[in-house]
Amino acid sequence: MTTLEQLSRILVQHYKIDPTGLDPHAPLQQLGIDSLGMVELLFFIEDEFHVHLPSDAPLLPTLADAVVYIDDLIAKQHPESVTLGAIPAQPKAPPLA
Amino acid sequence: MRRVAVTGIGVVSPLGNSAEQLIANAVAGRSAVRVLEQPWCRRLAAPLAATATFNADEHFDPPRLRMLDRVSQFALVAARDAIDHARLDVGNQDPQRIGVFVGSGMGGSLSNDEGYRTLYQEQSDRIKPFTILTGMTNAAAAWIGTEFHITGPNLTYSTACSSSAVAIGEAWNRLRHGELDVAFAGGAEAPLSFGSLKAWEALHTLATVDAADAATSCKPFSADRSGMVLGEGAAIVVLEEWAHAISRGATIHGELIGYGLVTDVAHITRPSVAGQAAALQAALTAAACIPASIDCINAHATGTLANDAVETAAIKQVFGEHAYHTPISATKAIHGHLLGASGALEFVLCLLSMQRKVLLPTMHLQQPAPDCDLDYVPNCARHDTEVRTILSSSFAFGGTNAVLVARYADPQGFT
Repeated sequence: MTTLEQLSRILVQHYKIDPTGLDPHAPLQQLGIDSLGMVELLFFIEDEFHVHLPSDAPLLPTLADAVVYIDDLIAKQHPESVTLGAIPAQPKAPPLA
Repeated sequence: MRRVAVTGIGVVSPLGNSAEQLIANAVAGRSAVRVLEQPWCRRLAAPLAATATFNADEHFDPPRLRMLDRVSQFALVAARDAIDHARLDVGNQDPQRIGVFVGSGMGGSLSNDEGYRTLYQEQSDRIKPFTILTGMTNAAAAWIGTEFHITGPNLTYSTACSSSAVAIGEAWNRLRHGELDVAFAGGAEAPLSFGSLKAWEALHTLATVDAADAATSCKPFSADRSGMVLGEGAAIVVLEEWAHAISRGATIHGELIGYGLVTDVAHITRPSVAGQAAALQAALTAAACIPASIDCINAHATGTLANDAVETAAIKQVFGEHAYHTPISATKAIHGHLLGASGALEFVLCLLSMQRKVLLPTMHLQQPAPDCDLDYVPNCARHDTEVRTILSSSFAFGGTNAVLVARYADPQGFT
């Protein structure tokens, strides 16, 4: 499962968001996740990806931003999983504009 | 001094989530008290509660819902309904001339309970990021202010069982003195966690289960009363300065004419006759009423051994001979004790009973206690009764005793 798919799963499970037609470049605000909601999303990301976020984690305006950030964290915190391919290092999301 | 009208009512309660359902069930004496069925209930001596039938998904989108404890959900839905009922276009008002006044005894106790379970039971450090947000006692009031963009005072009163009577009374004071034109006032409580039920049980305040019919376990003024039953819900009223209400053609559902607030310092939990009587007298004085002008009392009447006898004595002390001719309703028998939301819910029941010209019954009262010898309207509502002025008592652990006085208003009859 790609990082984007795992993120989408969080959105479906906790925010009841319809995964079809989910645009990775759309602002998360449009899904009802504002800056405060982001605090909780980061919490779910820690659980889902087994990463530890710094206390000054950045706000991630879009899913695509989140994918890049998570993959970077995984590469730093779990380099073995990247080489082993447990979690794909390359996001399937379209490249950022 | 300005007059204060009630122009909107919103409720989420064990007796229903509309004024119509609430009063219909209260008149019929249908008890919402039941045996809880959660797995942890086997650890409770008497797993009783009066629960609200409430589907949060119908009222909130998922991202918002994640930020709301059940108590805030109740409060927001009750506030929306009250504002709708008042047909008040909040956007057309000066938002600084509107206030939010909410009472809650335990705030977001379900969120806090869940947090403790994570930390202490599961030994996990993964406490939810919104635990502060959902658990803080002023969350319910804050969400009402945020949703309706109300920039006047946003105040939370936490005075245990009198919280929402205090909230309504304090709003009344500000409206009366011209500080505000409109107030959304009432209370909300969602206390039905294992932790809080167990804590109330430990204090020996909760009723035992009636073996014949659990729904009848709360028995105010009865010889065999054994305690209170916790309930959950919210009641919010729109209070409005009289001329403001008239000028926009609002329907007036009643007038709030008095509020007595006296602190009983005899003991942290045990009520005193003097403390309750002082609050009753203060409310009569504020309302410029004499006992003979009170048509009915909605008693605090928790069904505990301590309260009901003391309350009876306090009513006698203030009302004298009139105590025996003043009908008294104890509705906690069927909707349970909503703690910080009780005063507001019972105030709403007072307004509705005046409109419907009915005296609400005190259910489950087969044999009154010897020291409870007043007219409690036992077991059966009295219809076609002119109820013009009604007094609603809320007495609290900690001693903050609040009594509201409401007067009938003919919805058609004002110019």
